[in-house]
Amino acid sequence: MNQRDRKALMFYIGMVAPGLAIYLSIVAYPVFYSVWLSFTDFNPNAGGVGNFMGLFHYKAMLDNPEFWHSLKNNMIVVAVSVFGQIPIGFILAYILYRKMVRAEKFFQSMVFLPQFLSTIVIGILWKRLFVADGPVSTIMQLATGDPSAQFDLMLRAETVMIPIGIALIWMYTGFYMVIFLANLQKMNVNMIEAAKIDGATEPQIFGRIILPLLTGTIIVSSVLAIAGSLKGFDLIFAMTTQGLQRDNASVLPIYMYETAFRDYSNPMRFAYGAAISNAIVAISIVMIGISNWIGKHMSQDEVY
Amino acid sequence: MSDIVNNSKSSLVWGRVGKIVSYVVFVSWTLITIVPLIWMSYSSLKSNEELTRDIYAFPYELFDNMDDEYTVIRPDLNTIRDYDPKVDKRERICIESNTIAPGRRLMVFFLVKEDMPPEIQNLKIGDTVTVRDLPGSIRRYINRKTMRFNYESAFIRGGLAGKFANSIIYASVSTFLIILLGSMTAFAISKMQFAKLSKILMIVYGLGYLISIPSLIIPLFLMMTKVGLIDTHLGLILVYVAFGMPLAVLLSSQFMQGLPSSLVESAYIDGASVFRTFWSIILPMTTPVIITISILSALGIWNEFLLVLVLASSEFTKSLPVGVYSFSSLTGTQLGWQLAALVIATLPAMIVYFTFNQRLTNGVVAGAVKE
Repeated sequence: MNQRDRKALMFYIGMVAPGLAIYLSIVAYPVFYSVWLSFTDFNPNAGGVGNFMGLFHYKAMLDNPEFWHSLKNNMIVVAVSVFGQIPIGFILAYILYRKMVRAEKFFQSMVFLPQFLSTIVIGILWKRLFVADGPVSTIMQLATGDPSAQFDLMLRAETVMIPIGIALIWMYTGFYMVIFLANLQKMNVNMIEAAKIDGATEPQIFGRIILPLLTGTIIVSSVLAIAGSLKGFDLIFAMTTQGLQRDNASVLPIYMYETAFRDYSNPMRFAYGAAISNAIVAISIVMIGISNWIGKHMSQDEVY
Repeated sequence: MSDIVNNSKSSLVWGRVGKIVSYVVFVSWTLITIVPLIWMSYSSLKSNEELTRDIYAFPYELFDNMDDEYTVIRPDLNTIRDYDPKVDKRERICIESNTIAPGRRLMVFFLVKEDMPPEIQNLKIGDTVTVRDLPGSIRRYINRKTMRFNYESAFIRGGLAGKFANSIIYASVSTFLIILLGSMTAFAISKMQFAKLSKILMIVYGLGYLISIPSLIIPLFLMMTKVGLIDTHLGLILVYVAFGMPLAVLLSSQFMQGLPSSLVESAYIDGASVFRTFWSIILPMTTPVIITISILSALGIWNEFLLVLVLASSEFTKSLPVGVYSFSSLTGTQLGWQLAALVIATLPAMIVYFTFNQRLTNGVVAGAVKE
């Protein structure tokens, strides 16, 4: 390495070092710290030294029904994202793309808007909407003519995920709509025109041309949806009241938060919480892998 | 393109039905978006008593308060005064509202005795007076105060003023640092030699996309406690910067790659230093992307919740979302204040969203679908 190169390297390091130092110490290091933590009996009140405990916390987690309950709820959230938000987002994008509505810019920004509002505000608003004496109950009473009809979906364990699912769809569909719209607009129009001339019908164009061309986008969206819904915390936290309701609607990040920062009786709450958050990361990596694999196999015979 | 759609007969029928369905879907979606926001905005101008009476009615009490009753009370019972009793020693009559938040000592005015007409000067403790009876300037003052009641109360008594300031500090300082450090890194990656090093850096930052604040919140909490950065502005800002880096590095390096390398070379020949080339030549040309990243980062930080919930324990460091949340989960708080708090947290984000709508859309697409 000659002197000029060495000097250039110094400049290079000078440019990247400040950002990299912050990034590595706050994002990269905690990743390893979290893994280490989950294998120990770390307790900040007992000197904060961790002794190796192996898979103790992971075993405890798998034996805990709360974990399975949260996982089940989380899978509902994932399903709502992948089979709700993405198809609806696609349909909305398609409608805008084929210019089936006027004022498309306005409608687009209206569907996209919730993305940029505070999740907490949205959660509080939706909570008000679904409370037993809220607007939805009033509509139910008007529709059924029964003044005693009460909308108690939020209060029952079996149904609490329904209002949450609706709120999730409303909040995040705009994101996928925008991604699909951008990719639709990038597509080559000539192909559709050629198919038209050959006598293809609208559903045929949709199924045979547009859908296969967007497989990549659908995979990317699914990956984003899975990753996003496994780490989702704010909306459900804000929509539910602390206590039984939140326990009913608990998802893994909420279970992790309640364990680590609320359950003071557990001396190893941080280590146990770290095990939960590592499990979340592991589950999302596995699910992303599966969705990638399915996507690749599904599209194999259709890409030409 | 629309004449292609309407080419054949079948697509004509399909198109017409599709059109109706499309409109129904989009119009109802829009209504679900706007109606709660409109309800929230006008309800934030209602008094608490009005809100419990009818949750949908339009605000009335805070605007038409000529008949509002006030009771004269002992001034020394009130600790919060709108004047300094040490500086201004004039005699005053203290009146408290019977209509707006009665009995809570929230709508209290100290009227200077010498400015009042004789019949008010002679009022005794326990007597009542309506706004209509007061002199014009005082009436207008009380009017203005009443209209702003929910907002002023949320801001000052609910402690949202400090949280608003904190949110602004977090969003602006972190965004500035994200942009500065992110574009410096991007410049090195895209416009300096050492391709291998750049590739490693891109992978390191790329992996950052998969890692989110919730999955690292426990180690972050423990680390910040250990180094004494817990419950400080600096600690939160550092975390926001770290988590904002991947998007900034990715988007701006993608953009800088598109700028001609001859710019850097000619600057080098002219004797400009590396930082000078970056600062005076590359950075100004990157402005469009920088604006996009700034808006995305700032909005994200403005609305972020979990990190502040865990890392900020004192009122001094909490930001708006946490303030709004704890405000609304408190039982017995005034509903009107809560709604005002929601509006305070939402309005800035809405303004930014509608101003930079197109940029945001493009930025999100570029950030989500990297090619």
